[in-house]
Amino acid sequence: MAEHHTASDCKHKTSSNAGGSVSGNGRPNSPAGCGGSGGLSGGLTQPAGWQSLLSFTILFLAWLAGFSSRLFAVIRFESIIHEFDPWFNYRSTHHLTTNGFYEFLNWFDERAWYPLGRIVGGTVYPGLMVTAGLIHYILNLLHVTVHIRDVCVFLAPVFSGLTAISTFLLTRELWNQGAGLLAACFIAIVPGYISRSVAGSFDNEGIAIFALQFTYYLWVKSVKTGSVFWAIGCCLSYFYMVSAWGGYVFIINLIPLHVFALLLMQRFSRRLYIAYSTFYIVGLVLSMQIPFVGFQPIRTSEHMAAAGVFALLQAYAFLQYLKDRLTRQEFQTLFFLGVSLAAGVVFLTVIYLTYTGESHLPVMLRYAKIHIPIIASVSEHQPTTWVSFFFDLHILVCTFPAGLWFCIKNINDERVFVALYAISAVYFAGVMVRLMLTLTPVVCMLSAIAFSSVFEHYLGDDMKRENPPAEDSKQDRPEEGLGPNIKSIVTMLMLMLLMMFAVHCTWVTSNAYSSPSVVLASYNHDGSRNILDDFREAYYWLRQNTDEHARVMSWWDYGYQIAGMANRTTLVDNNTWNNSHIALVGKAMSSNESAAYEIMKSLDVDYVLIIFGGVIGYSGDDINKFLWMVRIAEGEHPKDIRESDYFTPQGEFRVDKAGSPTLLNCLMYKMSYYRFGPYTRLDFRTPPGFDRTRNAEIGNKDIRLKHLEEAFTSEHWLVRIYRVKKQENRQALDHKLRNIAAKQKYTSKKVLPSLFH
Amino acid sequence: MAVAFKGFQFNLPFASILLILLLCLQSGGGQKKKENMLAEKVEQMMEWSSRRSVIRMNGDKFRRFVKAPPRNYSVIVMFTALQPQRQCSVCRQANEEYQVLANSWRYSSAFSNKLFFTVVDYDEGADVFQQLNMNSAPTFMHFPAKGKPKRADTFDLQRIGFASEQLAKWIADRTDVQIRVFRPPNYSGTIALALLVSLVGGLLYLRRNNLEFIYNKTGWAMAALCVVFAMTSGQMWNHIRGPPYAHKNPQNGQVSYIHGSSQAQFVAESHIILLLNAAITMGMVLLNEAATSKGDVGKRRIICLVGLGLVVFFFSFLLSIFRSKYHGYPYR
Repeated sequence: MAEHHTASDCKHKTSSNAGGSVSGNGRPNSPAGCGGSGGLSGGLTQPAGWQSLLSFTILFLAWLAGFSSRLFAVIRFESIIHEFDPWFNYRSTHHLTTNGFYEFLNWFDERAWYPLGRIVGGTVYPGLMVTAGLIHYILNLLHVTVHIRDVCVFLAPVFSGLTAISTFLLTRELWNQGAGLLAACFIAIVPGYISRSVAGSFDNEGIAIFALQFTYYLWVKSVKTGSVFWAIGCCLSYFYMVSAWGGYVFIINLIPLHVFALLLMQRFSRRLYIAYSTFYIVGLVLSMQIPFVGFQPIRTSEHMAAAGVFALLQAYAFLQYLKDRLTRQEFQTLFFLGVSLAAGVVFLTVIYLTYTGESHLPVMLRYAKIHIPIIASVSEHQPTTWVSFFFDLHILVCTFPAGLWFCIKNINDERVFVALYAISAVYFAGVMVRLMLTLTPVVCMLSAIAFSSVFEHYLGDDMKRENPPAEDSKQDRPEEGLGPNIKSIVTMLMLMLLMMFAVHCTWVTSNAYSSPSVVLASYNHDGSRNILDDFREAYYWLRQNTDEHARVMSWWDYGYQIAGMANRTTLVDNNTWNNSHIALVGKAMSSNESAAYEIMKSLDVDYVLIIFGGVIGYSGDDINKFLWMVRIAEGEHPKDIRESDYFTPQGEFRVDKAGSPTLLNCLMYKMSYYRFGPYTRLDFRTPPGFDRTRNAEIGNKDIRLKHLEEAFTSEHWLVRIYRVKKQENRQALDHKLRNIAAKQKYTSKKVLPSLFH
Repeated sequence: MAVAFKGFQFNLPFASILLILLLCLQSGGGQKKKENMLAEKVEQMMEWSSRRSVIRMNGDKFRRFVKAPPRNYSVIVMFTALQPQRQCSVCRQANEEYQVLANSWRYSSAFSNKLFFTVVDYDEGADVFQQLNMNSAPTFMHFPAKGKPKRADTFDLQRIGFASEQLAKWIADRTDVQIRVFRPPNYSGTIALALLVSLVGGLLYLRRNNLEFIYNKTGWAMAALCVVFAMTSGQMWNHIRGPPYAHKNPQNGQVSYIHGSSQAQFVAESHIILLLNAAITMGMVLLNEAATSKGDVGKRRIICLVGLGLVVFFFSFLLSIFRSKYHGYPYR
């Protein structure tokens, strides 16, 4: 989806991102500086003050760069919530701030999924809304009166700075300070993370990546120190993550995996025991406090690995204890046998669990692709091509294996963790495009390690030569130095690579990830810009001109936006929890008008909203999505809807005269092209009724609607709204009046006495 | 016991047919002949299908048992080309699915003489293909008990695919016969896993005196990098989508290894990317080696330059491939 925008927007890049490229060029210098500081730290000659000042400056600049490169959409358009899901998050945050926390937890939303409704408080991860609400509350307490919408819009960019800092902390624990600073700079601008955290994309992932990185940092810290303090901190951070995103399952599987790998490598220690036992128990109890998660942590299979490893760790520690107490040789061998047996059993269960849970994921996806059209219709649930990897990570994707190599070659407890993190995340990212997000932080860290170790060697020695006091300690190595020429060439080229990375990041952010998709922009040949604000125009019309309780039927993509912007009741929305309800709407859209009217009558529909791009050539409209509606409807109503009916005998999907008659007479087609045929002639080269999106002259130009009437069509015809007519009065039956004179006497006899009594 | 039960099941329809035949005997001589022929045909078909779940047919048999009118049974026909010289790999896959379906029907408790599975191979019945005006294989057709096959009686292979579940759904739609597909469980994966485990275990046992190699970091690092390279070059996409290895242009015979669009890729392309990524990583590692190892300075300089060359050259190569796929990318 993002790549569509890129293809169309790329020509206009140079004019529009002058501000961005300045900050883009500013950044690679800071990595260079921090590489130097990593080298400096070996010298131990500089006062620590300089180092921390440099670190603070670089972190601050990284935050600033990350924040400002996420503002393209705000500068080009305005401070507006993007896309679809963020509108729901915004709406519930709004509900939270106006009605309070408890009201939010008990919120039953009767405006969604009419007539079913939705229990919002129990079916969302509330972390995002609570965070935004809290910030809003604090700011208002300080008399900084901002609207909740602005808090929501700028939440993700602000949190990207926090992500950079926690990545810095984690990488510092894993390698050294220089690598940490590089990693912070990388994560601040890498497109794989920006894609989910531009200003306006008010979604769970924006804050969840921060929580993820911070939890990992605290976990590594608690394994290193073995103190309950850090472990409790880790639990609290984990609790925040659970409240924010369903991806917390990744944490609760990765940390046990780490513990298990450490046990296998015979790296068991008291520190590990304390850290994991505390984390598991407190984390489990805390995670069950979220209403949406509830008892899942002790029921479902994806949490079982953590429990198994917990049991194994206890058994292992117990046996260690016994081994200290018992001296007899036989007992020891017996226990050793027991240990290996138990380890084998747990290993097999973990293998089994991971096997069934993880490696069947592609199989599961393939199954889902065939059987549940609604999953297949979402573009995020697709496997990843190498192009997406390169597009989102650029040079990092080729250098992070080097960092992984260095980590494994110089292994210690926490580097085991980062290696496992890298391997599992890269697997998941390969299976699903969407999970690129979890891969991005580890890629940044490992690439930073690779680059930092190169810079350390190729910048550091020059520094040593400049500083005479450094020589006395390490002068006994005579073969120092590859010569300054080679070193400077290497440094220069590495810096150039990083600069290309920064430029690439800015370009991708500007062109692919900074479109609100609520407001569209088109560009003329001379570079001037037209704003197409049809969506908001139509939603505002709905808000102003319809009854407050009017029910609007549309395809599920637009449910959240209708609820958020028009404040009207919808039938289906992006939550997609009820497939049969969606299929019913799909059936209505793909049936002929009178059959659809029956469905709409039974669902109390007042208005129908569709998206039509034929006038301006917008490719994401409902006719292009129409086959998915048919497929989903066919899945539930195979007797009434058949996908093959909508194709020509040659198996093509065409809207022109050759198209199948079922298609040309279905409700969606009629609503899309109503009044389009005879009355519109877009330019003189094309015949009247020429659809620009599909490049075809439409086949059915004489469209008459019987049960619907056009209520509103936006400026560029992008949104069309139809009113569903109420049922007409019954037609007078043409029959003779019955002659009931003969019976009158009889009835009066019977009835009248009863009246008088 | 089971056989006896099944035999009973077989006989019941036969008995009823005979009964009908007897009842119909009075109606006339021509009718009687027809009924006899029908019973004969059903018996013949049952005998074949008891021997093999999918009946192989040639042109004559096809015309006699499938096309000729007196019938009270539906026939599913797969038109295919299974001979090796035809080089139809899709046919073989479709045939496997078809066999699974036919076996599920053959050994199900609902098995009756209402439905038969047959196959016509192009090399045995080319005349049938011509007669039906068919020019692609495999094709699945349903010949109903009464009347001629309609449009929906040809299975829409292009759209639905030939998974036996889909075929079963289609058959249920056309004939009202529900077949529950029972796939013979595939043990090959389990066996391979067991073999691997035993092999590794055996190796460990043989080298039990010297287990140093488990602690070999290079080996583990190599394994980790292999996983990473496989994933970042999109092997999982290949696994799920199953693209062709490379595309050969039918007009001029040129082979293109790189897919033109950024939404898709070829297998060969992903292998190239894998090698490029590995080369760049190796360059980075060599750069580091050159700086840290203790050895001859000249040698280290060469290592360093080679590493740098690897990184810079292969990265620009990678970038140019990316540019060729991602139209409108402005940088080099």
